[in-house]
Amino acid sequence: MIKKFFESVGSYFLFLKMVFRKPQKWGIFWRHFINESDKLILSSILIVGVISVFIGGVLVIQTASNLENPIIDKMYVGYMVRESLVLEFCSTMVALILAGKMGSNIASEIGSMRITEQIDAMDMMGVNSACFLVLPKVAAATLLSPLLMLMSFALGLVGGWFVVDMTQIIPTASYITGIKFCYNGFYIFYSCFKMSLFCFMISSIAAFNGYYAKGGSLGVGRSSTRAIVTTSILILMFDLIVTQLMLY
Amino acid sequence: MFKSFDGVQVLNDINVTYEPGKCNMIIGASGSGKTVLLKNLIGLLEPDSGEISYGDRKLSTMSYNEKMKLRQNIGILFQGSALFDFATVLENVMFPMEFFTDWSKAQMRERAQYCLEKVNVTGSDDKYPNELSGGMQKRVGIARAIALNPSYLFCDEPNSGLDPYTSILIDRLISDLTKEFNMTTVVNTHDMNSILEIGDKIGFIYKGSLLWQGDKNTILHTDCRELRDFVCANTLARNIIEGR
Repeated sequence: MIKKFFESVGSYFLFLKMVFRKPQKWGIFWRHFINESDKLILSSILIVGVISVFIGGVLVIQTASNLENPIIDKMYVGYMVRESLVLEFCSTMVALILAGKMGSNIASEIGSMRITEQIDAMDMMGVNSACFLVLPKVAAATLLSPLLMLMSFALGLVGGWFVVDMTQIIPTASYITGIKFCYNGFYIFYSCFKMSLFCFMISSIAAFNGYYAKGGSLGVGRSSTRAIVTTSILILMFDLIVTQLMLY
Repeated sequence: MFKSFDGVQVLNDINVTYEPGKCNMIIGASGSGKTVLLKNLIGLLEPDSGEISYGDRKLSTMSYNEKMKLRQNIGILFQGSALFDFATVLENVMFPMEFFTDWSKAQMRERAQYCLEKVNVTGSDDKYPNELSGGMQKRVGIARAIALNPSYLFCDEPNSGLDPYTSILIDRLISDLTKEFNMTTVVNTHDMNSILEIGDKIGFIYKGSLLWQGDKNTILHTDCRELRDFVCANTLARNIIEGR
């Protein structure tokens, strides 16, 4: 099992070496980059947006219900919601959601191409199939995912504001003051960095599993599941490592 | 050439030369090693020992870039056609041109349409592969394979899943294109109709060994018992051989 693990890690890095070659035609690369941006990032806006709005609202209620001490200013509800969103939810939780959506999309698409010999056909034409198929996906996911994180953060705060405004669980002015209190710009950078890293892992690991899928449609299903499980665990592990390195 | 998987010898001492302008056929029963031989020839698998040469260039000594260069000169028709799902018929045929030529869009389109006309596929330029019949997919696969005017054409079971009439059309198409472009064509099949229709040079693989070589005129008069058993699975051939 240990041998198999190291073999997989080795194969993954050799796969990355194939992926990160210079594209044979930059025009084709950019065209695919735009397509993949649409497929992986723009199409995720709805799910990320909806979840962010609701989570923002829920965080407000949960935080407010735990801050009943009259000594503590109600503006801390807004402050804590903001910190929870930026530090953990908008990067790690959104990445876990994307691991399911984006990861299964990439693994099943590339896996299907593998079992129908489309990848073999590309290789036999002299096209670097790994670079052609995977590099635009990895580039789009890594470079554009911070925008999703920023959108999620903004919508989370808006969701919180909706709940505050509708329920008056705390005064709206306190919430607004709280989300502006002790603002630390580095947290935004930290969260964007985590999101980029996680989306790089999601796209590359899913592509790796799809690229080496075998065993027909069952094999594609297996590769998709393996990709999601592996990336979910790695996201949580790297969340810990990056947090320790960047915040402590 | 020798090839084995997990200690099981799949190809045993294969020694064969394929000639340009001819339909060279690899025949044999299912599981005899035909596809493994074809995959070795095109470089998707590496032989355990032995050499594969294209002209005077050995495949095993070629660098990555040399192999990529060679592959631009090879056309392949896969068993399942392997058309790209994300591209239309026209885009599929233009795909290798986009990578390996500096032609304008109009030139690529013109060449792609010429190739599609050669294989009798017209009016389907904007359709996606899943909108085509099996026979149409094979034709588009052939059009894509000849798009860059290759010197070598490899076809893996081009007739699988096709009705006899379409099969013969595909066979004749492969044969005509081979002669017209003087390509070295290697067809992997177990279809007796194809063998008798276009087999200019035939190699019979039996349990991984090349047992017999000949052509479509000599195959029915062979003394090789294993080949006779293979050929006589077809009733018409059996009647011819037995003089009925």
